[in-house]
Amino acid sequence: MYNYIFLISILLITYYMVIVKRLPALVGGFRLQSLFLFLTTVSFAFELKEAALYIVAILIFVLKVILIPNFLAGITKKIQVNENLGLLLNPQLSILVALILTYLSYLFTFNVMPFTDKMQSVTFALTLCVILIGLFIMIFRLKAITQIIGLLVMENGLFLLAVTMCRGMPFLVEISIFLDVFISVIILGIFVYRINTLFTHIDVNKLTNLRG
Amino acid sequence: MILLCILSIPLLFTLAPLFVKKLRALGRLNAIGHLAVLVTVFYFALNINLPVKFFGFFYVDALSVFFLFVISVVTFAASLFSIDYISKDISGGFISEKKAKFYYALFNFFSFSMLLVPMVANLGMVWVGIELTTLASAFLVGFYNNKNSIEAAWKYIIICSVGIIFALLGTIILYYAVSCVATTKTLNWHEIAPLAKSLDANIVKIAFLFILVGYGTKAGIAPMHTWLPDAHSQAISPVSAMLSGVLLKTAIYAILRFSIITNACVGVNFTSNLFILFGIISLVIACGFILVQKRIKRFLAYSSIEHIGVIIIGLGFGGLGAYGALLHIFNHAVTKSFMFFGGACVVKKYKKDNLNVIKGVVASMPFCGVMLVMGMFAISGMPPFSIFFSELFILISGFSQGRYLVCGLFLALLAVIFGAIVYHLSRILFGKKPEELKAGTEALSTKLSFLFLLIFMCLVGIKVPVFLNKIILAALEILKGINHGL
Repeated sequence: MYNYIFLISILLITYYMVIVKRLPALVGGFRLQSLFLFLTTVSFAFELKEAALYIVAILIFVLKVILIPNFLAGITKKIQVNENLGLLLNPQLSILVALILTYLSYLFTFNVMPFTDKMQSVTFALTLCVILIGLFIMIFRLKAITQIIGLLVMENGLFLLAVTMCRGMPFLVEISIFLDVFISVIILGIFVYRINTLFTHIDVNKLTNLRG
Repeated sequence: MILLCILSIPLLFTLAPLFVKKLRALGRLNAIGHLAVLVTVFYFALNINLPVKFFGFFYVDALSVFFLFVISVVTFAASLFSIDYISKDISGGFISEKKAKFYYALFNFFSFSMLLVPMVANLGMVWVGIELTTLASAFLVGFYNNKNSIEAAWKYIIICSVGIIFALLGTIILYYAVSCVATTKTLNWHEIAPLAKSLDANIVKIAFLFILVGYGTKAGIAPMHTWLPDAHSQAISPVSAMLSGVLLKTAIYAILRFSIITNACVGVNFTSNLFILFGIISLVIACGFILVQKRIKRFLAYSSIEHIGVIIIGLGFGGLGAYGALLHIFNHAVTKSFMFFGGACVVKKYKKDNLNVIKGVVASMPFCGVMLVMGMFAISGMPPFSIFFSELFILISGFSQGRYLVCGLFLALLAVIFGAIVYHLSRILFGKKPEELKAGTEALSTKLSFLFLLIFMCLVGIKVPVFLNKIILAALEILKGINHGL
């Protein structure tokens, strides 16, 4: 029962991330989303009595709820750019797109994926929707940091999928993926610094030297 | 045990810059290390009975050995080429000594991550390995730390990460399909393959679509190729050769592993049609962009997209076509690295990279110029060089299956690309050299790296070496054998 409350909350937080206009709010949204991902994982671990899932949950808490959001918030503060996200689509249109994406992933799941269990279909549709909205954030928000957050939202969606559908990936794989994600966020952060020093902005739509 | 050797050499050499003070010595040591990797892979392929499993973590069969061989040939050549290239970069004031050491550390870590990919048994670990190659090479793409290279590195890491997330989505969906039928949950591909027949066909098809789009992004298959020309043209040149030569192929390797399972489950037609479709799109896009390129390394990068197209079309044909495709993977790796080395020498000498401006390369750089003339014909697919033959195999297989439309398009596009390559390169190769440029030749290590690759280009064109033929045939058995259900 708790699971479904958590899942719905994750979806609602994802919608919230689509409509926010400022960077710190987006980072906060990501932290909250990761927190609910942590809660979902714990509740699944409790239900299935799997020790590996507890460890995964702890990793989610340490990395995605504490370290990565702090790191991103730190960058935002340090480079002191304009905190506005630079929306390519305004919040009203964005939430409309998010709803359309939700409907599409619902259609995809119920027409294409051959699940027999209805609950499974719902969770799959929900995670697919989170992944698609992550992609949407990457494309329609113009700051370099928002692209990192979009990527992380997509990854959260994947973890949710792995936990809810497959009860987690094999343990070693899961740990390595965590490590990879963490390293990639740090490397991306370093590049944000470099972009900021070289270009004096972090607007990715203005990175247009290389063409054709 | 030998397997661990192959992995541990580059991993240990990642630390070498901490202990070796002199840069030239470091460069030489690096080349020796990669020679050792190459020799070990060679020894391994000849003397060990495949497949080898251990720790339940590594699983190496002929297909893996083939990719290991390709990777180690190209990394060895790149490490030879690096010696002089890096010292010229330092004397030219582009990078500091400290940064050069950083380069050697990353170079080794990059080659480690690429060697890891074909060795691991677990499809999830394959994903981790491929993500690791992106992370290791991101700083090598943005190495010069100027506006263009940082922009290229950013696009590279973002686009490839998104692509690879879709690949992970595909992997999870496949894992779900497996966990529905298997008693033990596993992602080890050699344990999944025997189960393939009992998997749900629709789920496997969807998983494969995500896999193809995801790893296809990393492999530079059009239309997901947009990061490739930027990254390959901005990376430091020995690394451009590795990116083009082998990084793309590790992603192809991952696609192949999944296609084996998919073929066993839903039949060959599904994957083969997809391969041919994406291959033709890649050829069309590469053809258009090659015609209008102005910069030499960008031009070579688009040529990589063309060859990736050729490879996956060959894989789509299957049979002799798949043989041609595997051979083409090797030939393209060797020839394209060769061309990137040549291009790098030209850019170093002329200090510009515009195809319209550079003139008289043969006159000003006799050795490198002659090499580039040969490379120009090799990369565009003229006999007696090796690429001609692998493309010929693919075409024969296509025509014998009666796929006239695909083969006709393939031939027409290759003809246009041939014209474009010869036109662009002959403009820079011939003509009068600028007055102020003194004719000069390259360092011995650079020459050796050219000659090392040239031997393979010519040798495979005359006759496929017995050793290579043996691994490719064994790898084909793996691709095919499971087609009939193990």
